[in-house]
Amino acid sequence: MGSIEGILTGFQVAFSIEGVLFVLLGVFVGTFIGMLPGLGPISAIAIMIPITYGMEPTLALVMMAGVYYGAVFGGSTSSILLNAPGISGTVASSFDGYPMAQQGKAGKALAIAALSSFAGGTVSVVLLMIFAPMLANVAISFGPPAYFALMLLGLTAIASLSEGSTIKALISAVVGFMVATIGIDPQTGTARFTFGSTNLLDGIDFLVIALGLFAIAEVCYLVMNRHKSLGGSGKDIGSLKLSKEDAKEMSGPIGRHSILGFILGILPGAGATIASFISYITEKRISKNPDKFGKGYVKGLAAPETSNNAATSGAFVPLLSLGIPGSGTTAVMLGAFLVLGLQPGPMLMGDEPEVFWGIIASMYIGNIFLLILNLPLIPYIARILTIPRPLLISLVIMFSLIGVYAISFSVFDLYLLLAFGVLGFLMRMFAFPAPPFILAFILGGMMEQSFRQSMTISDGNISIFFESNISLVLIILSALSLSFPILKNIWAKKKA
Amino acid sequence: MKKLLALSMFILMLLFLAACGGDDTSSEGDNAGEDDTSSEESSGDESSSEGDGEWAPSESIEIVAPAGAGGGWDTTARMSAQVLNEEGIIEQDMGVVNKEGAGGAVGWAYMAEQAGSNHNLFVSSSPILLVPLNGQSEYGHEDFTPIANVIADYGAFAVRDDAEWDNLNELFEDMKEDPQSVTVVGTSSPGSMDHIQFVRFAKAAGVDITKIKYVSAPDAGGITQLLNGSADVFSTGVAEVVEQARAGEIRVLAVTSEERLEGETLSTFPTAMEQGIDESFINWRGFFGPKDMDPAAVEYYEAKFKELSDSGAFADVRSNYGWNEMFMGSEEYQEFLDQEKEALKGLLDELGLTAE
Amino acid sequence: MLQGVNRKIGLILAILTAGYLYMSYQLPTYPYIPVDADAIPKTLGWLLLVLSIALFFAKDQDTEEQKAKRRIPKKDTLALLGVFLLAFIYITFFQTVGFIIMTALFVYFCSWFLGYKNHIVNAIVSIAFPVALYSIFVYMLQIRLPQGILPF
Repeated sequence: MGSIEGILTGFQVAFSIEGVLFVLLGVFVGTFIGMLPGLGPISAIAIMIPITYGMEPTLALVMMAGVYYGAVFGGSTSSILLNAPGISGTVASSFDGYPMAQQGKAGKALAIAALSSFAGGTVSVVLLMIFAPMLANVAISFGPPAYFALMLLGLTAIASLSEGSTIKALISAVVGFMVATIGIDPQTGTARFTFGSTNLLDGIDFLVIALGLFAIAEVCYLVMNRHKSLGGSGKDIGSLKLSKEDAKEMSGPIGRHSILGFILGILPGAGATIASFISYITEKRISKNPDKFGKGYVKGLAAPETSNNAATSGAFVPLLSLGIPGSGTTAVMLGAFLVLGLQPGPMLMGDEPEVFWGIIASMYIGNIFLLILNLPLIPYIARILTIPRPLLISLVIMFSLIGVYAISFSVFDLYLLLAFGVLGFLMRMFAFPAPPFILAFILGGMMEQSFRQSMTISDGNISIFFESNISLVLIILSALSLSFPILKNIWAKKKA
Repeated sequence: MKKLLALSMFILMLLFLAACGGDDTSSEGDNAGEDDTSSEESSGDESSSEGDGEWAPSESIEIVAPAGAGGGWDTTARMSAQVLNEEGIIEQDMGVVNKEGAGGAVGWAYMAEQAGSNHNLFVSSSPILLVPLNGQSEYGHEDFTPIANVIADYGAFAVRDDAEWDNLNELFEDMKEDPQSVTVVGTSSPGSMDHIQFVRFAKAAGVDITKIKYVSAPDAGGITQLLNGSADVFSTGVAEVVEQARAGEIRVLAVTSEERLEGETLSTFPTAMEQGIDESFINWRGFFGPKDMDPAAVEYYEAKFKELSDSGAFADVRSNYGWNEMFMGSEEYQEFLDQEKEALKGLLDELGLTAE
Repeated sequence: MLQGVNRKIGLILAILTAGYLYMSYQLPTYPYIPVDADAIPKTLGWLLLVLSIALFFAKDQDTEEQKAKRRIPKKDTLALLGVFLLAFIYITFFQTVGFIIMTALFVYFCSWFLGYKNHIVNAIVSIAFPVALYSIFVYMLQIRLPQGILPF
């Protein structure tokens, strides 16, 4: 019963005048920073920490939370309009969002993204409110074998991410996995494939690859078609209108992926990026028309956008209920708690109920504000696409370069970005699909580490993967997922 | 014409946003400015009476945090810069720059290029000894000018609350019989802090350190793996375990400090020394300058950091983050670093982790 | 023998893979670690080798559409090279000359090079953009971008 009282206190905090004002300020700053190249939730929160120093802790944290999900919300804009994701959680949104924008429906794409984000954010806050105290156990239930099995399940979807040659898709994936092995290996401290360069010791940042393979490669095609202009007039581009059909199509993915994204967000280490990818491929696999994906399909945009925002709320579960920061962003968030003299952990809910529930309750308002702030701006933002091609090309290149620079402040990474741009261009020219590369890169690194952690723990005994229920179920699912297309074929033949 | 309109709208919007945001920060800046002037009057006199007349910074000072935003180095740099400026200890602007990468090596490589500069400082701690020993950085502390150490952190070894070991000795007894029966988890890779601090104590207790099973789990995976039973012992910083210990989820077998730490929960953690293992490990953190810094400048900064360390504002910062005070001046710091490096090199040699 | 795109790509990939595998075998190993740092790279290397051989012998399923994608007019090749060259120059002088100047020059010349004729708009954009971004990053967000030769 204590928690109902707690929830009420939380709403009191969140709906007070100061509460509402600070949420508004937080989401505004967050969306704005999220739209800037290279700056995502991590930098947004880190920038805000010194500003909140000495503020009333609950209000400060309500604002910081707003900055966090606001930044995730704002990050999808450049991903959809320019194919140049500003933060890693929105890379998957470009798969269908960018084609949609190119078809002259930029306003619609942005509106779908905003609505899905809103829905994903709101549904997951409801889940957070009801289950947060119980979910603490879910957050720690995944041991290394379970993580390995989860990543395996994600990788089995590679075949479904590509059209055309399976061999080429597999080659793409293996190369992506190889790129993930560059850098210091955490299990032994060995530097792998770094050619003695300090710049490569940390491996290659995900955004360098994503911006290279998508944004810069796309720029190459824009250069070749620089005299063509976009379909549709300026008015259509900014139009937010969604048909009834669109709304209907969105509802399915929104329902599914607010839950899936939330659960993936809870798991330390998984986070918004992995959640958005897994949601995208799940949606594609269960879809009746998988070939519509990647061509501006409503569901293909709604799924990752719902998921990454839901995962953001999910990430608060281990942070608030256990004091475990499951990602770089929540680690910085933890720092914010410390600055304000609060120590998140298992005792927080009991010791400081108004902080715990205040943050959660404020997310409802925050999500509403985000929607209200963003929808009216969409027609104007969408007009970026009406900028004459040559100028747009220069600006996209600049956006990508600054985006990469703001992550690492390293000029080396800028050269690397160009190199991946060339690679992405060549891959498209010779019909090697890029999504499997990206997927293998983000899942591969974690898969290798959890595999080897498991093997160290079990002294090299492979049976560890079948001992825990979670990993057993996930491995069976992977096996099914691999055999599914074959079974489908057989079934289809029998029917015919 | 339409295009032009769209374009100018877009730019206008950007400028508008910039202006809006500018308001936010400028009001912040105003506040900070007021603080500045008020505290200058009180503390300004003191510092001038100390006679730092020989050298003073002539331009803004850059502090490099050789890590990403939000980490220990970054917070130390940012909070120090803030206190130094707000308390008027140093009046020149101090900007923090993140040079992230390779456990610090990227930042150190950058600092090595600044040799001779008097306006570049950086923050570092034990990794500046360990990373070069692992062969992952060309530059070590010998290539820079130690200015002052300001804070100390300590490590802790924790087990689940239902674990079979009640103290550090019981754990090490089991490990002496079969080192591979126990899985140790830490955040960083073998040869770095979490691993080495455990190895150091295990060696003092007589465990065969080459056979210790160590798993590295980034992104807070360590505490997760301890709680769900994947690993047995979690080697980490003491701040990471306080809340879980307070909640009764885990038990801290030992902290690495020489004496018990202060604080409600902290003081309940036993030291290894009181359990008869004569070993300690400090995660010190301090400021360095580039090679060939003007000795007068070193002297200037040393005095300023002393003032920082003694200030009430910085004491608040320390207690918020759970850091301890540990001031060392330039010379003492240099000696301390040389000794630590020697000791760490011995351990890494034995583990086969030193680069040829 | 080497006709068909797949064959050429398969061969190039196989050569690159051989290099990767060679490096994988140079990685140091440690006792008492069941799956060492070299295990996964070696597996990946062999896997890619098999795949590139498979690609070598795979039938070319090149559609006309794909072939058309590879046919780049000479003019466009030059344009692409030009853009990359400009980006390369931009990066090279990014830190020494500074963010504002290099970005302004890059945006102006790149747009011009690609055929944007409205010099006034171009000049306004290429100056306003970097200045706005620079002030947001440096003054508002306290994130330093290369200052270069400008005094602010």
